[in-house]
Amino acid sequence: MEFLTTKNIIDIIDKMAEVIIANEIPFCEMDSVAGDGDFGMSLAKGFKQLKVDWNSLETDNIGVFLKSCGMVIMEYCGGASGPIWGSAFRGAAKASAGASQISVRDLVKILRGAIESIQKTGERSFGRGAVVGDKTLIDALVPAADAMEKAADKGYSLFDCMEKAAKAAVQGAEDTKKIVARMGRAGTVGERSLDHPDAGAYGIGVIFTAIAEYAKSFK
Amino acid sequence: MKKIINTPESFVIEMCRGIEAAHPELEFVEKYKVIKRKIINKNKVTLISGGGSGHEPAHAGFVGTGMLDAAVCGDIFASPSQIQVYNAILKTQSNRGTLLIIKNYSGDCMNFDSASAMAKEDDDAIVDSVYVNDDIAVKDSLYTVGRRGVAGTVFVHKIAGAAAEAGKTLEEVKALAKKAIANVRSIGFALTSCTTPAKGAPTFSIGDNEIEYGVGIHGEPGIAREKISSANSLAERNVADICADINLDKSEIALLINGFGGTPLQELYLYNNAVTQEFKKRNIKIYKTFVGNFMTSIDMAGASVSVLKLDDELKKLLDAPANTPALKV
Repeated sequence: MEFLTTKNIIDIIDKMAEVIIANEIPFCEMDSVAGDGDFGMSLAKGFKQLKVDWNSLETDNIGVFLKSCGMVIMEYCGGASGPIWGSAFRGAAKASAGASQISVRDLVKILRGAIESIQKTGERSFGRGAVVGDKTLIDALVPAADAMEKAADKGYSLFDCMEKAAKAAVQGAEDTKKIVARMGRAGTVGERSLDHPDAGAYGIGVIFTAIAEYAKSFK
Repeated sequence: MKKIINTPESFVIEMCRGIEAAHPELEFVEKYKVIKRKIINKNKVTLISGGGSGHEPAHAGFVGTGMLDAAVCGDIFASPSQIQVYNAILKTQSNRGTLLIIKNYSGDCMNFDSASAMAKEDDDAIVDSVYVNDDIAVKDSLYTVGRRGVAGTVFVHKIAGAAAEAGKTLEEVKALAKKAIANVRSIGFALTSCTTPAKGAPTFSIGDNEIEYGVGIHGEPGIAREKISSANSLAERNVADICADINLDKSEIALLINGFGGTPLQELYLYNNAVTQEFKKRNIKIYKTFVGNFMTSIDMAGASVSVLKLDDELKKLLDAPANTPALKV
């Protein structure tokens, strides 16, 4: 199978919610070193509500579904997670508008759409969007999108591409240990963040790994 | 700590229902926790502010003639979501555009900015924003990039509110709000911690004879933990700090002595006396004084001093009528 259907995407987001809720406490602990320790809770709050609203989400196609998820996430994720993760879903929705099945190329486009949307959100509030090296979730998302695109170029299967993306996300998160945070609130604690991964990037690694594993069941 | 409470979860909603019941000219949109004027004037610029709850009367108490059109209420000390702000924008739209008055905290900025972008993109709304950063205590903090927005925000509501009421355009109202922001400074100190309803215990511990100088409005740290001193010496220091940050030589100012929620009015008036003497010593003329609880930190004891440096234009706007639950001019 070289395409993901709307049903597959719905199942993937369901899995994503499950992973985020299960990791509420570890994600918080990760954030307490250099942030205010609310990341896991804020994120889980939105995804718990997503599960509550699950049956009333719009599912006409992939774009509509992702946008509908984004609205719940924007409303219920606390702190900065609402705007960041909400805009990611909004960007992903725009990149998949009207689609009812997507190829790996489309998946790359969706990831890039999410990244661009997060960067725009950052730019509005902080004057510039985060790039790789700022110690944010972008440090996991960009390598993931790059790895997926590269794997697609080499002709790997959709699932192998997803696996490569997940591995790159984990590595990207690992690499943030060497960086001193400089964006957002974590930017004000500076040196204290050294030797610890960014919580958002770490979260992306965990989520993508679980999704890549889960997607194998679609075969 | 004892509180008048049913459950922490229903705290903000029940409080807002109480505000609506006491002020029939206001309407509480419960789904989005928005307190708005019941009747929106389509022919003036709409002003929206908001932020975490716990700062009452800010901001719902400043909704009314001559000030805000709506206040968006977050949970205690947490920014409202962008969906709440987005819906506040849509429900209060006029033909003249909307100005968001945002206190400079990262969470507030991201949620208000994202809401504004969404209203512009999806609904062709005309929205602009200003950011208040009047607290001279710290440059960056756990919650901000740059200075924090605190009690001086009330002056910005007043100035922008009067400008909007006078029928000025969005650009003009924004420029006047920015002028107020450029001329407002605040500094505060805490004698005790605040106690959030969810936790029910003090947020931070502080000795019986200690104060936190430069404290934030969420009980977050300021400049120094130190031994308490007399009202006169605190006033001298507050005024000196403000004068070191903005040139007030031969200026006229508006003064706001703000209580953080746990300090009785008698102490606030006593403190106003001390602060007023300090300005007199420096030949700085006080044009108008406000004393009371305007931007609280729930039940924290302590006070802040805010100063708005005035010119004729700002004086006129300051003197314009305002009729809101928490401020009447």
